[in-house]
Amino acid sequence: MPDRPADLDTSYVLRTVTERGVRFVRLWFVDVLGTLKSFSLPTSELEQALEEGVSIDGSSLEGSVRLRERDVIAVPDPRTFQLLPWRRQAPVARMFCDMRLPEGTPFAGDSRQALRNVLAQASALGYTLQVGTELEFFLFAPLSDDGALPVPLDRGAYFDLTPRDEGSDFRRETIEHLEQMGIPVTASHHEVGPSQHEIQLQYTDALSMADAVSTFKLAVKEVAHEQGAYASFMPKPLEDQSGSGMHVHLSLFEGERNLFHAPGDEPLSEAGRRFLAGVLTHAREITAVTNPWVNSYKRLGGGFEAPEHVSWTRHGRSALVRVPSARPNRQSAARIEVRSPDTGSNPYLAFALLLAAGLRGIERGYELGPEVEDEAPADAPLLPADLREATAAFEASELAREALGERLCEWVAANQRREWRDYQRTVTEFERRRYLPIL
Amino acid sequence: MRDAWLYPYVPALAATLADDLAELGYSARARPLEGEPLAGLAGEGPADADRAGGGVASPGANGSGSRGNSGWRPPALVLVTLDARAIAVANERCARLRAVEELAEVPLLLASDENALRAGNTLPDGDELLVAPWSVDELRARVERANQRLGLADEGDVVRLGTLELNLATYQVTIDARPVDFTYMEYELLRFLITHPNRVFSREALLNRVWGYDFYGGTRTVDVHVRRVRAKLGNEHATHLLTVRSVGYRFER
Repeated sequence: MPDRPADLDTSYVLRTVTERGVRFVRLWFVDVLGTLKSFSLPTSELEQALEEGVSIDGSSLEGSVRLRERDVIAVPDPRTFQLLPWRRQAPVARMFCDMRLPEGTPFAGDSRQALRNVLAQASALGYTLQVGTELEFFLFAPLSDDGALPVPLDRGAYFDLTPRDEGSDFRRETIEHLEQMGIPVTASHHEVGPSQHEIQLQYTDALSMADAVSTFKLAVKEVAHEQGAYASFMPKPLEDQSGSGMHVHLSLFEGERNLFHAPGDEPLSEAGRRFLAGVLTHAREITAVTNPWVNSYKRLGGGFEAPEHVSWTRHGRSALVRVPSARPNRQSAARIEVRSPDTGSNPYLAFALLLAAGLRGIERGYELGPEVEDEAPADAPLLPADLREATAAFEASELAREALGERLCEWVAANQRREWRDYQRTVTEFERRRYLPIL
Repeated sequence: MRDAWLYPYVPALAATLADDLAELGYSARARPLEGEPLAGLAGEGPADADRAGGGVASPGANGSGSRGNSGWRPPALVLVTLDARAIAVANERCARLRAVEELAEVPLLLASDENALRAGNTLPDGDELLVAPWSVDELRARVERANQRLGLADEGDVVRLGTLELNLATYQVTIDARPVDFTYMEYELLRFLITHPNRVFSREALLNRVWGYDFYGGTRTVDVHVRRVRAKLGNEHATHLLTVRSVGYRFER
């Protein structure tokens, strides 16, 4: 009987590269802001890279704040090997990387590793997290350089040039690419805003989902580009339209049993209620990660059913967390839907913090407060109103430090502080329009 | 050396087998005949048997029912010796071995004397039967045949199923000679099921066998991958990958 060698996944990659004539493999990782980074490796270097990793400048993980240079080793994860479906002529593949220090230990600034750490903690308790996402985005005409407002594709100049079902063609193409890359899609539809789309990704384990979200953003942009459009995940690109979010559906499993499932009419089991209480209790602290941009808060505070208060609901429309009604016959469907995160957030860190908050709720037996129907009560706590407030809450969060580690927390905060400072220095159109005439 | 488990109900036959096996590169491990807690369930291993029978693998079954900790390695081969007297216990033993999921891909060989073949005797369920006296060449041939029957073809072989072709050496899957882009885990899942056809595997077992021990994803991951593999196989071939309600999955060949 042939024994399967331990590094079967590596030989799979090496063979596939030869068989399919792949000449370059892109090694992917995300920085602390969730931005996908890529470097290209000729196939001839691949075997060595799989064995030893590739040395890169670690400050590339720090986002827009480069604190210090430090070499880290990017080790490709062969299980994430994929041919990129949008490169049809010359096959190109990608792999996600894990970051290690030259000594071989995991690098504390690696978002993927941070999520793995929290998943390992859950696993030690016997839990596995399942994550589903709904990702919203806009399709615009290609951006102009003069700072003019983006033009949605559904109306305006491009309408005449494109067939009427342009959006659905686009979604079909995107979904095909995603499915080919092992990212199953459950649904897609046109959203509220003009040229706003939503694609739902089938639940899967948290690390695969975070990889999938990163891949998704690139796939959407690639397909849009092919079709002469521009796709944006900016949380609130148009003032008078709804913003784009990433609703995150979470459920916790113990073996094949959904811990959130309650018999009868209850939407959530006790463990589910405590998990939800954890997410709500720590919601303000983790908002800097789930909503990391200045613009994120224009969405959260801007109506259109975006959550503004820390609240949960079964039937209301704008709560932070929605709990789908009980479905006694489908225990796997019991879940909570966190509605605040942006698609522009770092999904690894966002999932890590949501899970850490939920686990803490279970561990410490948090009590879930009452449900809200439509209007949040006047005394319901508010989510942070802007990035500065969110950053302050994040910096004070012991939960975040425990879940992500000092280094990642410091990087997140440094990026946010700088973002806020740059924003504050900007004299906006609003100010000129409002104040020039009267002052 | 690869391990071969040997049940010495007939000590003389067992002694011959042990020598022959050594010649073929197997290390024969005598298994206890009594009290071996070989459970019929995945996740529980014959841990105690190791103490009694001598070092097959590291014990460590903890019976928690969670995956990834049964801690023992299946052997490459299982052999049960029997004669007319031992036929009942051998039958029972084989039935229990057959119920151990980890042994699903391990050939089970019966080594019998002629007396056991008398009319009216029901021989145990084995993959091949050796009748004493046998030669080393016959043993080798029987092992190979059993492996083939289990679909455990050598590396380099191509599994064909209608228009579906799975090349185990190059890891490529084609349908109608057109390459299908499977992800690594999709490929591994399909390879495992297709090379262990007609047996039901639970989600837990598939997680253990295909994903390995350091995966935090949970059993629903298996469902997700099965759905994707089916989608990529297309209607014609997807029908072979069956859901066995409230048990798991089976590939029918």
